[in-house]
Amino acid sequence: MFGYVRPPLDRMAGEDAARFRRVYCGLCHALGHRYGPAARWILNYDFTFLAILLLDGEGEPRRRRCAVHPVHGREILDGEPSLDLAADESVILTYYQLRDGAEDSGPLRGLPYRMGSGAFSLAYHQAAARRPRFDRAVRERLGALRELEESRCASLDLPADAFASLLREAAPEEGDPVRRRVLGELLYHLGRWIYLIDAADDLKRDAAEGAYNPAALRYGLLDGAWTPEAKEAFAATLDHSVHRTAAAFELWDFGVWDPLLRETLYYGLFRVGRAVLDGTFHQAKKRKSI
Amino acid sequence: MEDPYKVLGVGEDATDEEVKKAYRELARKYHPDNYQNNPLADLAEEKMKAVNAAYEEITRRRSGGVRQESGYGASGASGGGAYGSSYDPVLRQVRVAIQSGDLARAEALLSQYGERNAEWHFLWGSLCVRRGWMDEALQSYEKAVAMDPSNAEYRQALDYMRRGTRTAYHPSGGTFGTYGGCCDDWCLPLCCAWSVCGGNPFCICC
Repeated sequence: MFGYVRPPLDRMAGEDAARFRRVYCGLCHALGHRYGPAARWILNYDFTFLAILLLDGEGEPRRRRCAVHPVHGREILDGEPSLDLAADESVILTYYQLRDGAEDSGPLRGLPYRMGSGAFSLAYHQAAARRPRFDRAVRERLGALRELEESRCASLDLPADAFASLLREAAPEEGDPVRRRVLGELLYHLGRWIYLIDAADDLKRDAAEGAYNPAALRYGLLDGAWTPEAKEAFAATLDHSVHRTAAAFELWDFGVWDPLLRETLYYGLFRVGRAVLDGTFHQAKKRKSI
Repeated sequence: MEDPYKVLGVGEDATDEEVKKAYRELARKYHPDNYQNNPLADLAEEKMKAVNAAYEEITRRRSGGVRQESGYGASGASGGGAYGSSYDPVLRQVRVAIQSGDLARAEALLSQYGERNAEWHFLWGSLCVRRGWMDEALQSYEKAVAMDPSNAEYRQALDYMRRGTRTAYHPSGGTFGTYGGCCDDWCLPLCCAWSVCGGNPFCICC
């Protein structure tokens, strides 16, 4: 389910790409610090993007050494409460993804073997104790999603709504009410886009395995291949979600993070969407051209 | 009042042309067309008012205090929302609930409503648009139009959905969309001239 929100670092100004890396390393550090070194394996671009959305201000970069950069270290964002929030939410989201069998797919493949599912269960219990509201919301929404999937719901919007509602809960509970409204709306529609693009990405494999796929059922693509009409209609509904995401983004001042977020929302999502629908996404990821 | 130059994001030494360009970009961004049926439309409207007021103030100062009329307001184009009226009192309540953002009430009223007529499908579609359930909205509008092809309100809503996001705000002025046709930067001005501005009287990017 994760791995699709990819900032186009190749198109960004050096300073914006450096900012992204500082958050990436900062989130990695927060995960390791709060949940032990094994938890660093769950780090990905989507969670980093979530952390950036939750940041309130530029933060103070510090140089730190780690196992990956033991000699010179790296500049990272450190001690930001929003990085702790993003780390806790990332652990909770990953736990439920693993529990629901997502370990067989996508970027999470084999994860429990690498890190030890027992150790991660402990991390989850700690995170759930820190963020009980978010934990409850994720559990409920994923339960609703599982029911829809088991009933082989042929709607795109209903299962996408369950996942989108879950991501909306990642918005902070406190702070400026306008910011909370904007983040809630932004995360909802980004969640809808993520769910739908994941379904598109799994279309062929789900057809081969006879697994549930909302796009296949909606457009009658049971052989796992897009028809031109279905692809066009699906792209249109993806675009509506990106539009709502971007329209929400424009209503809050994200400060120094604005160019990075803007480039991701107005360019990165479309680039990933096109690659998934054209079947080139995984090759592009291997070539690191996306 | 907040510093009008700050609102437009330009310095006080900006030329008139630069001020106008900054204003147009912000007006394009916060225009009501970009926030049709959006639960955050009230925030966009506030932004639009601030941008209009700032531009008006700068224009007034630069023209020696003469008040100038300026500003983009609502376009008047309907975006498929439920803004008409109903003969049926329950469906009238549904319209009010959708307009006021009380989507749970709208859903409850529609679920209890016995007849699945054209207006029911239209209002269900309007509820879906507001929620961002765009696929279901499109299908509901198609049903409404199929059941009552002569209804202009339903047809307008369906046209809005089918038009998609081609005219949505994009910072580079390019076409918005997964297959927007502007995948490469070199074609942006060309695409802009053909597809963004064509038929859109508001678009001022080219």
